[in-house]
Amino acid sequence: MRSLFRLSGEGEGFVPPSSNDFELPPVFGDNAFTTKPILLVFLSVILVSVFFLLSSRKAAVVPSKLQFAGESIYSFVRNDLGRDIIGHEFMRFVPYLFTLFTFVLTNNIFGIVPFLQFPTMSRVSFPYVLAVFTFVVFHYVGIRKQGIVKYLKDIMFMPGVPKPVYILLTPIELATFFLVRPLTLSLRLFANMFAGHLLLLVFILGGEHLFQGVLGLKLISPFAFAFGIGLTFFEFMVQCLQAYIFTLLTALYIAGALADEH
Amino acid sequence: MTGTLNLVGYGLSAIGPAIATGMIFAAYISGVARQPEARSVLQPIAFLGFALAEALALFGLVLAFVL
Amino acid sequence: MAMKDEGNALWSIFGYLLSGMLFWGGVGYGLDQWLNQGYFLLIGLLLGIGAAIYLVWLRFGRE
Repeated sequence: MRSLFRLSGEGEGFVPPSSNDFELPPVFGDNAFTTKPILLVFLSVILVSVFFLLSSRKAAVVPSKLQFAGESIYSFVRNDLGRDIIGHEFMRFVPYLFTLFTFVLTNNIFGIVPFLQFPTMSRVSFPYVLAVFTFVVFHYVGIRKQGIVKYLKDIMFMPGVPKPVYILLTPIELATFFLVRPLTLSLRLFANMFAGHLLLLVFILGGEHLFQGVLGLKLISPFAFAFGIGLTFFEFMVQCLQAYIFTLLTALYIAGALADEH
Repeated sequence: MTGTLNLVGYGLSAIGPAIATGMIFAAYISGVARQPEARSVLQPIAFLGFALAEALALFGLVLAFVL
Repeated sequence: MAMKDEGNALWSIFGYLLSGMLFWGGVGYGLDQWLNQGYFLLIGLLLGIGAAIYLVWLRFGRE
């Protein structure tokens, strides 16, 4: 597979946005650790911590608006993602799920916040690291709960199958649990953020380019901008949904590892 | 602009499974909505239909990469 | 919860199909490279799909 869309640099035609637009130079000097995505991750950590510290500091029976906002996010994660899916042992995992949800959500929404406008998760290493965390958590929980032998045996051998068929099925089960699950978890988040940002770039930059053209093209360019704005709202929905799905799948994997037969 | 036609082919081949999955779940949802107790009967059928349709979509995806 | 079963099942089905195809297709691809043939890849992919659908039937289809 060659690169999908090679850009031709010749002429002064429209240069469509590509994956090169995601490789940003360092902000301060030559230090490769200060690129925009890394700074955005730090910013998201600060934002999330400050917001939830403020909203929980003066906890009252009659909540203020801030406290209400913080508590509704918390109770959403706790009840809809923790209690309904994991079951009676859910309180141990709520801190992890809550951190994951707010972190991913904040970083996704950076994609449409003016002046920041870069979804951190469109650099693939960040979702990889999050998926590794989830991978470690759900396997560790399963092994602790059932013992390593029983856990692996449950994964590898489906009951009620004639013995020779295991040659065919066991590799699939192992590949699903140890390779495909973390990979799809991270790639789903990455691909959604990447494609969404690229889509916005196409419409906004394309609209700008049309605006520099002849009169007929100038008349079209407002439609491109309007579509870009509409897509921004669509992106907001996708970003919330992807943060939800990432956390939901983490909860489902933990629940599967806790259950006796998966 | 250079590229590979495999991706165009994959895009075309994904249309069919997409429509199929939509139809399967439309039928499943309306069936369960009309008769909630039929759910345990309908669920395996819906999942198997989904698996078959999804297998074709993934087949297209894999072939787009390896061919 | 009602939604939990469906959501879990759909993601697992997707994962099974993908990993079945990747594993057995990968085996077929390796055999192709090793023996200089051209048909093991197709056999591997079909075998992977078949095994994955069988696995889906075992887990979600028999009630």
